[in-house]
Amino acid sequence: MSSSTPPLLQVSSLHVHLGGRDIVQDVSFSLTVGERVGIIGPNGSGKTTLFNSLSGFLPVSAGSITFREREISTLPPHRRAQLGLGRVFQNFGIFREMSVFENMLLAVESNRKIPKRRRQSTVAEYLDLVDLLEKQKDKAGSLSGGQMRLLEIARTLAVGAELLLLDEPTAGVSPKLKDSVRNLLVHASDNKRTIVVIEHDMGFIGQLCDRILVLDVGRLVLDGPPDEIRSSQKVHEIYFGDAHA
Amino acid sequence: MEEYCIHLAILCCIYLILAHSFNISFGLAGLLNLAHIATYAIGAYTYSILTIDYGYHFVAAFLLSGVGAALFSVFVGAIAARLRGDYFALGSLGFYFVVSALLINWREVTRGVLGIAGVPRPELLEIDFYENRNFLVLAVILCLGCLACMYLLQVSPFGRLLRAQSENEFAAMSLGRDVARARNLSFLISSAFAGFSGAIFASYLNYVDPSSFSLTEMILVLSMVVVGRPGSFWGVTLSTIFLVLLPEPLRFLDFPPSAIGPLRQIVYSAILVGVVYWRKEALFPRRRVV
Ligand SMILES: Nc1ncnc2c1ncn2[C@@H]1O[C@H](COP(=O)(O)OP(=O)(O)OP(=O)(O)O)[C@@H](O)[C@H]1O
Ligand SMILES: [Mg+2]
Repeated sequence: MSSSTPPLLQVSSLHVHLGGRDIVQDVSFSLTVGERVGIIGPNGSGKTTLFNSLSGFLPVSAGSITFREREISTLPPHRRAQLGLGRVFQNFGIFREMSVFENMLLAVESNRKIPKRRRQSTVAEYLDLVDLLEKQKDKAGSLSGGQMRLLEIARTLAVGAELLLLDEPTAGVSPKLKDSVRNLLVHASDNKRTIVVIEHDMGFIGQLCDRILVLDVGRLVLDGPPDEIRSSQKVHEIYFGDAHA
Repeated sequence: MEEYCIHLAILCCIYLILAHSFNISFGLAGLLNLAHIATYAIGAYTYSILTIDYGYHFVAAFLLSGVGAALFSVFVGAIAARLRGDYFALGSLGFYFVVSALLINWREVTRGVLGIAGVPRPELLEIDFYENRNFLVLAVILCLGCLACMYLLQVSPFGRLLRAQSENEFAAMSLGRDVARARNLSFLISSAFAGFSGAIFASYLNYVDPSSFSLTEMILVLSMVVVGRPGSFWGVTLSTIFLVLLPEPLRFLDFPPSAIGPLRQIVYSAILVGVVYWRKEALFPRRRVV
């Protein structure tokens, strides 16, 4: 994390106000290119809300979000996505009624850098990357949980996302495919993509991330390397001590 | 008998364009625009007024009827930007009533409930289009042209985007796609084609009046798409032809003429209710949250 390069994402004093209270309160952090960051926190601590405000699905009530040195907090979601802010949803963001191939094709069609004549081959490349080439004609809704995640992540990569916000990518994924998900994310980060994952699976986070942010009741309470977080007394109090954990 | 078959074939052409145009916004984009029949009306009235009051040529009036209907769809888009799902359907229904009140009450332009008589058929290539046989040829050509365009749209990347956003708008947005713009465009295109079918309708009957654009008509178009399976090109094609021809045998039964109209509506409604019940899972899938 050299200080000379500007951060990819800079979040400053972010507040998100919903239903009469601040769900996200005064959150600040920044990310540099290629980082793999985990976000943990008890249920309802505001992790998904934080992602939704970064992606543009929820309005920011105060603070700023700078992505690639550009203030994006008032841009609509699709503009942020075009700038390279990708999102993988907690409840699966695939198009279930469409084929696996069409899901991928939509992503490739959304990437303006890929010329028309290369669309088909690019779709095949990405499907191959996640081992779904044989399933390309199947309805995406017929895939297993892990395959849906892999498809959604590959789709986000194909759109050209520089920063991937993944909301519990291992939920509903078999242990074997968890490894595939992790390998895919490591592969992506080797290719200069920056990754932020919300996770409850500490093993997964420990193996993937080089930095962890801890959210509690909407506040960012800790920010450090996995070892430090694991041994932190505070985390034990708010997270591991919590009945949900 | 031959005249009668030609009449039915022309009706099929008109309804094929209308049902397919509705299929774009409802079947592909998943937007239940109940004001669709109003854009059909605007096409019919635009054509009638331009040809009668302003002496426009068929080609110009026909194209402008599509443009006029498309312009009106801007209001529908504005409703869709503010209301979702069932609320949008209700909002568009409200807009339908506004248009229908205008057709009845803005007498200077629409002649009110009396309607506009003497709407001309085309004058093209020295062919007598008052001969129904010739008009049918024109209707078939226009119908095939419109259907071909709508088919291409359906299999295009834009058609794919419409289907995607109807399933999961947030996922479509996070692919960097402007969902609001896509929806507006789907209204624009679907209204333009509805406008074209309205123009053919007015020109064929030589007459338009508000009663041709009632909610009953909307239910008929809705049935055509629902029975054929929303989003399915060939399904909608077959079901439209089927539903246009379906009530015809009623004519030959021994019913008093005044009973035929209501009977048709009963048949259509029964089919709609039956199909919706039978396929409720596919038509109204359980919503998922982000
Ligand atoms: N639109 C909303 N209006 C009001 N309150 C909301 C809204 N969305 C979320 N909340 C509340 O905000 C809090 C944080 O929700 P959020 O989904 O961000 O938590 P989370 O950390 O992602 O939890 P989980 O681990 O269960 O996914 C919850 O208490 C939730 O009830
Ligand atoms: Mg969550």
